[in-house]
Amino acid sequence: MSNVEFILDGKTVSAAPGETILEVARRENIYIPSLCRDERISKNTSCFVCVVRDEKTGRFMPSCAACPAPGQRIDASSEQVQSMRRTALELLLSEHSGDCEAPCTMACPAHASVEEYVRAGRNGEWLKALQIIKQRIPLPMSIGRVCPRFCEKDCRKNIFGKPVAINEFKRLAADLYYDTYMEELPPSNGKSVAIVGAGPAGLSAAYYLRLKGFEVTVFEAMPQGGGMLRYGIPEYRLPKAILDRELAHFEKMGVLFKYNMKLGVNVSLDELKQNYDAVAICVGCWKASGLRCEGEELAVNGIDFLRKVAENGNTGENPGKTVVVGGGNTAMDCLRTAVRLGGSEVICFYRRTEKEMPAEKLEIAECREEGVNFEFLVAPVKLEKRDGRLVLTCRRMELGEPDASGRRKPVEVKGSEFETVCDTVIGAIGQKCRMPEGVKVNDFGYAGAEHGKAQVEGKVFAAGDCLSGAATVVEAVAGGRKLALEVDNFVTGAAMPEEHEVFVSRGRKWQGMSEKDVVFLRKDVSNAPRQELKFIPLEERKTTFKEVCSTMTPEQLAEEGKRCIECSCTDKADCKLRFHAERCHARVDVIKGEKLPPSYDNSHPVIIQDRGKCIKCGICVKTCKEVVNKTLLSAKKRGFFTYVGTSFDRTLPDSCAECGECIEHCPVGALDWRIKK
Amino acid sequence: MSENIVKIRVGTASCGIAAGAGAVLDALREKAPASIPVEETGCLGYCFAEPMVEAITADGGSILYGKVAAEDADNILALGENKRFEVPEGRKKRELTKVMALAGRINPVDFDDYVAHRGYEGLKKALAMSPEEVVNEVKISGLRGRGGGGFPTGTKWSFLAAKKTPEKILICNADEGDPGAFMDRSLMESVPHQMLEGMLIAAYATGATKLFIYCRAEYPLAIKHLNIAIEQIYQHKLNVINGRELEIVIKEGAGAFVCGEETALIASLEGGRGTPRFRPPFPTDSGWKNFPSMINNVETYGNVPLILRDGGEAFASVGTEGSKGTKLFALAGDLKYPGLVEVPMGITLGEIVFDIGGADPENVKAVQTGGPSGGCIPVDKFDVPVDYDSLKALGAIMGSGGMIVIGKNRCMVETARYFLDFTHRESCGKCTFCRVGTKRMFETLERITRGEGVPKDLDFLADIGPKIKAGALCGLGQTAPNPVLATLRYFRNEYEDHVIHHRCSALQCSALVDLKIDKSKCVKCRMCIKTCPVGAISDDFVIDPDKCTRCDSCKEVCPKKAISRVGKGL
Repeated sequence: MSNVEFILDGKTVSAAPGETILEVARRENIYIPSLCRDERISKNTSCFVCVVRDEKTGRFMPSCAACPAPGQRIDASSEQVQSMRRTALELLLSEHSGDCEAPCTMACPAHASVEEYVRAGRNGEWLKALQIIKQRIPLPMSIGRVCPRFCEKDCRKNIFGKPVAINEFKRLAADLYYDTYMEELPPSNGKSVAIVGAGPAGLSAAYYLRLKGFEVTVFEAMPQGGGMLRYGIPEYRLPKAILDRELAHFEKMGVLFKYNMKLGVNVSLDELKQNYDAVAICVGCWKASGLRCEGEELAVNGIDFLRKVAENGNTGENPGKTVVVGGGNTAMDCLRTAVRLGGSEVICFYRRTEKEMPAEKLEIAECREEGVNFEFLVAPVKLEKRDGRLVLTCRRMELGEPDASGRRKPVEVKGSEFETVCDTVIGAIGQKCRMPEGVKVNDFGYAGAEHGKAQVEGKVFAAGDCLSGAATVVEAVAGGRKLALEVDNFVTGAAMPEEHEVFVSRGRKWQGMSEKDVVFLRKDVSNAPRQELKFIPLEERKTTFKEVCSTMTPEQLAEEGKRCIECSCTDKADCKLRFHAERCHARVDVIKGEKLPPSYDNSHPVIIQDRGKCIKCGICVKTCKEVVNKTLLSAKKRGFFTYVGTSFDRTLPDSCAECGECIEHCPVGALDWRIKK
Repeated sequence: MSENIVKIRVGTASCGIAAGAGAVLDALREKAPASIPVEETGCLGYCFAEPMVEAITADGGSILYGKVAAEDADNILALGENKRFEVPEGRKKRELTKVMALAGRINPVDFDDYVAHRGYEGLKKALAMSPEEVVNEVKISGLRGRGGGGFPTGTKWSFLAAKKTPEKILICNADEGDPGAFMDRSLMESVPHQMLEGMLIAAYATGATKLFIYCRAEYPLAIKHLNIAIEQIYQHKLNVINGRELEIVIKEGAGAFVCGEETALIASLEGGRGTPRFRPPFPTDSGWKNFPSMINNVETYGNVPLILRDGGEAFASVGTEGSKGTKLFALAGDLKYPGLVEVPMGITLGEIVFDIGGADPENVKAVQTGGPSGGCIPVDKFDVPVDYDSLKALGAIMGSGGMIVIGKNRCMVETARYFLDFTHRESCGKCTFCRVGTKRMFETLERITRGEGVPKDLDFLADIGPKIKAGALCGLGQTAPNPVLATLRYFRNEYEDHVIHHRCSALQCSALVDLKIDKSKCVKCRMCIKTCPVGAISDDFVIDPDKCTRCDSCKEVCPKKAISRVGKGL
């Protein structure tokens, strides 16, 4: 038989006898996705993501099985073909039930590899843990102490009780190795970046830019670095000595800090633009919102209050009876600082209920422990001075319809005014950005970048609170990294690292899941209760600015690490379904519907079979039958409920561990080794 | 009068037995004088009149009785007037009985009876011809596969005949899986020799060496009759073809719809999981255990003896340009005379549905042809001639012959959902488009009929349907979206009613209707209150929509027809 000439995407090509269109396309470097084809076994024609179209008849066919006819015109790349492939992939994604990433990582704004650093810590490899953490979080000492722990809120361990104490791993890894570990820095790329603001966003940007070989100069308006970490977060949560250690590392990395340099006062934006290849604006949100009531000028604003205490070495006047208005984390910091300064009675006024409070639950609890009282559903109406003291008039509220933020809007109760006599009123009801002149802003006064981008205009970039509005340290850090990548791309033309777009999840939020939805890869997942932080005595907490709790010990965290379920997919690094879905721009949840009930088999010592991930390609069944000459696997049931089971429901023999042929060729993580690489 | 009767036949095909023919047979055998033999016979196709009894008189006349019971034995033996059956006029005028000519007229398991009615004449003639001449005769007849695909039978035969391998396989597809279709069952039960004769002719023409009949296990009577007939063929050495004794093997299928697809059928025949595979290679190149294999269905083989007996040209004189001969249809749904009927190709849908089926023209909305793989055709297109190509042009298919009449009281969305429910469960699970695609379509239809649909759902159905048709591996998936796409095409307004106004205009989708008592008609007899299984009707005759399960029990029991379905909340 002779070769067959045919036309593939307009190009005349030749196929050997018996050669499929897919094989020819691969030779010709024409991309055709395929999931169910494996050269060692007979043709499957199951996934149909490899479809091509006969231009003459308009018929689609699986290129993995179809051999070309002489002169046939095959369309392998048109939008029509791609649409079919996308739909095939979206159908597969709609029945695929796995976790491309663990929910902790998904929840983390910086997308840190939580599972990996928790595993390293559990195994006692704390330096490795720190290295993994620093890939996304360059401020582990601070974040290990002050992070609101998005990761823990989505931790699947919540289904069984309390989440894994993830943040403590960062704290210990940093406490142990932060000072001694030094990244390998590349040689300078000859480009320089000016960063305005030495807060979390600026520091994060500086860190990743240094790792890319940039010369980095940080201009800071205050006499010391750290931004809100220093002047906003009180000593008892983040000791300044710790912050100093953290900052010292940046200097070691060659980041140049220029303090007392305020943009627009000591240095101009034009100057920076002239002298640097890029300018990063990371000035934060330092403008406090007023109480929005008569006499608001009599109140202290929260940020100033905290900054002054920090500047004065954690000392300050006794505020007497103190009312803090607001329910965010800054309000909590003010309350607890007021307690420590000797406030006789410290009360929090919040206009909604505790449920709607933006402050961390943990912070609220610690406030209460330290004797703070809460008064919910009250809003200030008037503040006045009377007989040398302050009188705050408030009105009672009730919750009405949900507003834009989804929280129920407080509505005034008429005639419910009441007075509170006190010595200090602190307003902590929000922060705004005071953007230096010359930087483009949006309607809300934040840096005017396109949504999801750091570039504002030309060589000016922005990150952190001044771009996003007041947020958390970890969000600022994530923004700083993103800025660094964009600057690198802008200045050197370096490609943006590929970010995953497809995230299949069994349930992004654990609230909708039950115990049987959780897959246990390891058999030694511990059911022990969460390790708890050790606090200093309450009396000391209330009277000093000492750090309230100590770092957990390696022994404690080795135990805690065993509680981690390791939710993410064993195949997350080389899943073919995810790869082709991303390459073909197929999206998760475009097509929705029932998925198979959760079912996995981890009875084998080293193999796990996770049916929810199976795409029924049949490779494993045929590999066992045709390559290994055993018939240990078989397809069962029919239609949508088809699954791959073991023949006669026997367990796989231990000898399967030596073969593993089916595992190596499973396109997804449905059959895999139980050990994560 | 019973002295005039020379023979009595009782129809004891499955349909007759299900209707109670067994007791009738026993009663007649007990009461008939020894001089009158009471024989069993097959099915005449008048399902609506089963059980049926035929009395043959000395003058050769035939008197039919319908809907008989055991106690009618005396009346029949006396040739009484009671329960005499007349073939409806419309049917008499339109039907053309060729393939089924012997069904219900002979004893299915009596070899001599078949031979006496010109059985095996076709085989005899064929054996006197060369195999090429036989293939040619089939080509001349214009016969096309009756299983649904409509591939020219003679051409298919020539493919296998051309194979120069020592072993060739002939397979009869008797895995009639469409719900509501029973043409093949009836033919196998009533005239098992006819299909077998067709297979033997095919074996001679193509040089096949092994014969399989793949029959669903749900057809025990057909299998029983075929086994008896095969034994008789062996006895009469009719299976000796070209000097070689051929084996005829019946394989019972486990009832998977997809096993009617030829490659899945072969996989099942080989003992494997019944899943299709990509073609080429076609079975005539590589089929059962890689031998060249040819598959025809029961009705196709059933036509073959007639072609050989009467000649291909005589066969081709019936039908249309592209579709020759007659076709069997199983009529069901909203009509007066459900049953099996044989008609010439080219007859119009209206003639079948109204004249033969006796459906009320005022109450017919559409007809579904081709079972769950087919599509519905609205009543305004009933003048279309029934042939392979015209039906396809309308978005339906000829299929194997199921024809379901859909009355005006039926919701077309619910109808589509019903068919998808069947196909998505019968998908073998191998290819993505069919396994997941039909499931997602079904889920969408479920949502719509529950009143939870949104307009976007219609876009989804219209987008995914053609993709499933284009992307599925086998005929099951390639046709599964047809009922949805056809109803979307002809009855889009009904879909829109559901997703935009959350109304079911046919008042069939229970989630979108309430039951209401018309107080002006109600006579307060309390029958409804007593009947309601969930206590949803109050003492002052108000139905609580939260309790009501829409079972319609009250509606059915109301003597004044005061209870009706109304749109939800109306």
